[in-house]
Amino acid sequence: MPLAAFLGWLVPGAGHLFIGERARGTIFLVVIGLTFWSGIAIGGVKNTVNSKDRFLWFLGQVCAGAHPIVAMTWGKHSGAPETGGDPGWYAYGHTEDTAVVYTAIAGMLNLLAIFDVLARIEKGTGQESRAAPAASRRAGP
Amino acid sequence: MMAPAMSVLATLFITPIVLTPRTQMIFLLPLCMAVSIVYKTTRCDRLRDIPLAALVSWITIVVGMYLVGIVLMVLFELAA
Repeated sequence: MPLAAFLGWLVPGAGHLFIGERARGTIFLVVIGLTFWSGIAIGGVKNTVNSKDRFLWFLGQVCAGAHPIVAMTWGKHSGAPETGGDPGWYAYGHTEDTAVVYTAIAGMLNLLAIFDVLARIEKGTGQESRAAPAASRRAGP
Repeated sequence: MMAPAMSVLATLFITPIVLTPRTQMIFLLPLCMAVSIVYKTTRCDRLRDIPLAALVSWITIVVGMYLVGIVLMVLFELAA
Protein backbone atom coordinates (compact mmCIF):
# COMPACT_ATOMS: atom_id res chain seq x y z
CA MET A 1 0.00 0.00 0.00
CA PRO A 2 2.70 2.59 0.86
CA LEU A 3 4.62 1.69 -2.32
CA ALA A 4 1.54 2.30 -4.51
CA ALA A 5 0.94 5.65 -2.78
CA PHE A 6 4.60 6.63 -3.17
CA LEU A 7 4.59 5.65 -6.85
CA GLY A 8 1.34 7.58 -7.30
CA TRP A 9 2.94 10.66 -5.77
CA LEU A 10 6.18 10.33 -7.73
CA VAL A 11 4.54 9.86 -11.13
CA PRO A 12 0.80 10.68 -11.26
CA GLY A 13 -1.10 7.54 -12.27
CA ALA A 14 1.77 5.16 -11.48
CA GLY A 15 0.00 3.93 -8.35
CA HIS A 16 -2.99 2.83 -10.41
CA LEU A 17 -0.73 1.23 -13.02
CA PHE A 18 1.03 -0.60 -10.18
CA ILE A 19 -2.22 -2.16 -8.89
CA GLY A 20 -3.31 -3.09 -12.42
CA GLU A 21 -5.77 -0.25 -13.13
CA ARG A 22 -4.10 0.55 -16.44
CA ALA A 23 -6.80 2.72 -18.02
CA ARG A 24 -7.32 4.84 -14.91
CA GLY A 25 -3.58 5.15 -14.41
CA THR A 26 -3.09 6.30 -17.99
CA ILE A 27 -5.87 8.89 -17.64
CA PHE A 28 -4.26 10.30 -14.47
CA LEU A 29 -0.79 10.21 -16.04
CA VAL A 30 -1.91 12.18 -19.10
CA VAL A 31 -4.41 14.62 -17.56
CA ILE A 32 -2.39 15.59 -14.46
CA GLY A 33 0.84 15.83 -16.45
CA LEU A 34 -0.82 17.97 -19.11
CA THR A 35 -2.38 20.25 -16.49
CA PHE A 36 0.94 20.76 -14.70
CA TRP A 37 2.99 21.43 -17.83
CA SER A 38 0.27 23.69 -19.22
CA GLY A 39 0.79 25.81 -16.11
CA ILE A 40 4.53 25.82 -16.71
CA ALA A 41 3.96 26.75 -20.36
CA ILE A 42 1.79 29.68 -19.25
CA GLY A 43 4.08 31.09 -16.57
CA GLY A 44 7.50 29.87 -17.64
CA VAL A 45 9.72 27.36 -15.91
CA LYS A 46 11.74 29.99 -14.08
CA ASN A 47 9.27 31.36 -11.60
CA THR A 48 6.11 29.22 -11.54
CA VAL A 49 7.34 26.68 -8.95
CA ASN A 50 8.80 28.93 -6.27
CA SER A 51 9.14 27.65 -2.70
CA LYS A 52 10.43 30.97 -1.33
CA ASP A 53 7.80 33.46 -2.49
CA ARG A 54 4.70 31.21 -2.53
CA PHE A 55 5.24 28.49 0.04
CA LEU A 56 1.58 27.47 0.45
CA TRP A 57 1.11 27.22 -3.30
CA PHE A 58 4.36 25.27 -3.44
CA LEU A 59 2.91 22.72 -1.00
CA GLY A 60 0.08 22.15 -3.48
CA GLN A 61 2.46 21.98 -6.44
CA VAL A 62 4.78 19.48 -4.79
CA CYS A 63 1.90 16.98 -4.53
CA ALA A 64 2.39 16.45 -8.28
CA GLY A 65 5.56 14.51 -7.47
CA ALA A 66 8.39 14.52 -9.97
CA HIS A 67 6.85 17.21 -12.19
CA PRO A 68 7.60 20.20 -9.90
CA ILE A 69 11.04 18.79 -9.10
CA VAL A 70 11.85 18.60 -12.82
CA ALA A 71 10.41 22.10 -13.35
CA MET A 72 12.44 23.57 -10.47
CA THR A 73 15.64 21.89 -11.65
CA TRP A 74 15.04 23.05 -15.21
CA GLY A 75 14.29 26.56 -13.99
CA LYS A 76 17.54 26.72 -12.03
CA HIS A 77 19.58 25.52 -15.01
CA SER A 78 17.70 27.34 -17.75
CA GLY A 79 20.29 30.07 -18.01
CA ALA A 80 17.99 32.89 -16.95
CA PRO A 81 19.20 35.11 -14.11
CA GLU A 82 18.09 34.07 -10.61
CA THR A 83 17.06 37.55 -9.56
CA GLY A 84 16.58 40.70 -11.53
CA GLY A 85 17.90 40.46 -15.07
CA ASP A 86 15.61 40.19 -18.05
CA PRO A 87 11.99 40.62 -16.91
CA GLY A 88 10.90 38.64 -19.99
CA TRP A 89 11.88 35.44 -18.15
CA TYR A 90 9.40 36.07 -15.33
CA ALA A 91 5.61 36.02 -15.28
CA TYR A 92 3.63 38.76 -13.53
CA GLY A 93 0.00 39.48 -12.71
CA HIS A 94 -2.64 37.40 -14.46
CA THR A 95 -0.08 35.15 -16.13
CA GLU A 96 1.63 34.32 -12.84
CA ASP A 97 -1.71 33.71 -11.08
CA THR A 98 -2.99 31.38 -13.81
CA ALA A 99 0.26 29.43 -14.01
CA VAL A 100 0.45 28.91 -10.25
CA VAL A 101 -3.21 27.86 -10.04
CA TYR A 102 -2.78 25.35 -12.89
CA THR A 103 0.27 23.71 -11.31
CA ALA A 104 -1.17 23.69 -7.76
CA ILE A 105 -4.45 22.17 -8.96
CA ALA A 106 -2.44 19.48 -10.79
CA GLY A 107 -0.88 18.67 -7.41
CA MET A 108 -4.28 18.58 -5.71
CA LEU A 109 -5.64 16.29 -8.42
CA ASN A 110 -2.70 13.97 -7.87
CA LEU A 111 -3.50 13.94 -4.15
CA LEU A 112 -7.05 12.86 -5.08
CA ALA A 113 -5.58 10.11 -7.28
CA ILE A 114 -3.35 8.94 -4.40
CA PHE A 115 -6.36 8.72 -2.06
CA ASP A 116 -8.23 6.85 -4.81
CA VAL A 117 -5.47 4.27 -5.22
CA LEU A 118 -5.37 3.76 -1.44
CA ALA A 119 -9.16 3.31 -1.36
CA ARG A 120 -9.02 0.81 -4.22
CA ILE A 121 -6.34 -1.21 -2.45
CA GLU A 122 -8.46 -1.14 0.73
CA LYS A 123 -11.56 -2.29 -1.19
CA GLY A 124 -9.54 -4.76 -3.26
CA THR A 125 -10.74 -3.53 -6.64
CA GLY A 126 -7.34 -3.72 -8.37
CA GLN A 127 -6.60 -6.16 -11.16
CA GLU A 128 -5.00 -8.70 -8.82
CA SER A 129 -8.02 -8.83 -6.50
CA ARG A 130 -10.40 -9.05 -9.51
CA ALA A 131 -8.46 -11.98 -10.93
CA ALA A 132 -9.09 -14.21 -7.93
CA PRO A 133 -12.95 -14.22 -8.04
CA ALA A 134 -12.85 -14.64 -11.82
CA ALA A 135 -10.60 -17.67 -11.44
CA SER A 136 -12.90 -19.17 -8.80
CA ARG A 137 -15.93 -18.61 -11.09
CA ARG A 138 -14.16 -20.42 -13.91
CA ALA A 139 -13.33 -23.30 -11.58
CA GLY A 140 -17.02 -23.64 -10.65
CA PRO A 141 -18.53 -24.80 -7.34
CA MET B 1 17.96 18.54 -35.28
CA MET B 2 18.41 19.22 -31.54
CA ALA B 3 18.73 22.98 -31.83
CA PRO B 4 15.23 23.63 -33.28
CA ALA B 5 13.71 21.23 -30.72
CA MET B 6 15.47 23.05 -27.88
CA SER B 7 14.33 26.37 -29.32
CA VAL B 8 10.71 25.19 -29.38
CA LEU B 9 11.03 23.93 -25.77
CA ALA B 10 12.52 27.24 -24.71
CA THR B 11 9.72 29.14 -26.39
CA LEU B 12 7.06 26.88 -24.87
CA PHE B 13 8.26 26.47 -21.30
CA ILE B 14 10.74 29.23 -20.50
CA THR B 15 9.18 32.36 -21.93
CA PRO B 16 5.86 33.21 -20.18
CA ILE B 17 2.84 34.10 -22.30
CA VAL B 18 0.96 37.35 -21.74
CA LEU B 19 -2.55 36.98 -20.34
CA THR B 20 -5.22 39.65 -20.08
CA PRO B 21 -8.23 39.30 -17.72
CA ARG B 22 -10.38 38.26 -20.70
CA THR B 23 -8.02 35.52 -21.88
CA GLN B 24 -7.62 34.42 -18.27
CA MET B 25 -11.34 33.63 -18.25
CA ILE B 26 -10.86 31.33 -21.25
CA PHE B 27 -8.08 29.45 -19.44
CA LEU B 28 -10.67 28.41 -16.85
CA LEU B 29 -12.20 25.99 -19.38
CA PRO B 30 -9.36 23.44 -19.79
CA LEU B 31 -8.61 23.57 -16.06
CA CYS B 32 -12.23 22.70 -15.24
CA MET B 33 -12.05 19.91 -17.84
CA ALA B 34 -8.99 18.43 -16.11
CA VAL B 35 -10.72 18.59 -12.72
CA SER B 36 -13.86 16.94 -14.14
CA ILE B 37 -11.98 14.12 -15.86
CA VAL B 38 -9.83 13.27 -12.83
CA TYR B 39 -12.77 13.48 -10.40
CA LYS B 40 -15.05 11.34 -12.55
CA THR B 41 -12.24 8.83 -13.15
CA THR B 42 -12.11 8.29 -9.40
CA ARG B 43 -15.91 8.10 -9.05
CA CYS B 44 -17.07 6.01 -12.05
CA ASP B 45 -16.82 2.24 -11.68
CA ARG B 46 -17.18 1.61 -15.41
CA LEU B 47 -14.66 3.37 -17.65
CA ARG B 48 -17.18 3.87 -20.44
CA ASP B 49 -19.23 6.15 -18.15
CA ILE B 50 -16.35 8.58 -17.66
CA PRO B 51 -16.62 10.74 -20.84
CA LEU B 52 -20.31 11.64 -20.41
CA ALA B 53 -20.03 12.10 -16.63
CA ALA B 54 -16.96 14.31 -17.09
CA LEU B 55 -18.73 16.40 -19.74
CA VAL B 56 -21.79 16.96 -17.51
CA SER B 57 -19.53 17.79 -14.56
CA TRP B 58 -17.46 20.20 -16.71
CA ILE B 59 -20.57 22.06 -17.88
CA THR B 60 -21.88 22.23 -14.31
CA ILE B 61 -18.59 23.61 -12.96
CA VAL B 62 -18.14 26.16 -15.76
CA VAL B 63 -21.73 27.45 -15.59
CA GLY B 64 -21.56 27.56 -11.78
CA MET B 65 -18.24 29.42 -11.75
CA TYR B 66 -19.38 31.99 -14.32
CA LEU B 67 -22.67 32.50 -12.42
CA VAL B 68 -20.76 33.08 -9.18
CA GLY B 69 -18.48 35.52 -11.05
CA ILE B 70 -21.44 37.42 -12.50
CA VAL B 71 -23.19 37.64 -9.10
CA LEU B 72 -20.00 38.88 -7.43
CA MET B 73 -19.46 41.43 -10.20
CA VAL B 74 -23.04 42.73 -9.82
CA LEU B 75 -22.63 42.96 -6.03
CA PHE B 76 -19.34 44.80 -6.51
CA GLU B 77 -20.96 47.27 -8.92
CA LEU B 78 -23.88 47.84 -6.52
CA ALA B 79 -21.55 48.38 -3.56
CA ALA B 80 -19.24 50.73 -5.49
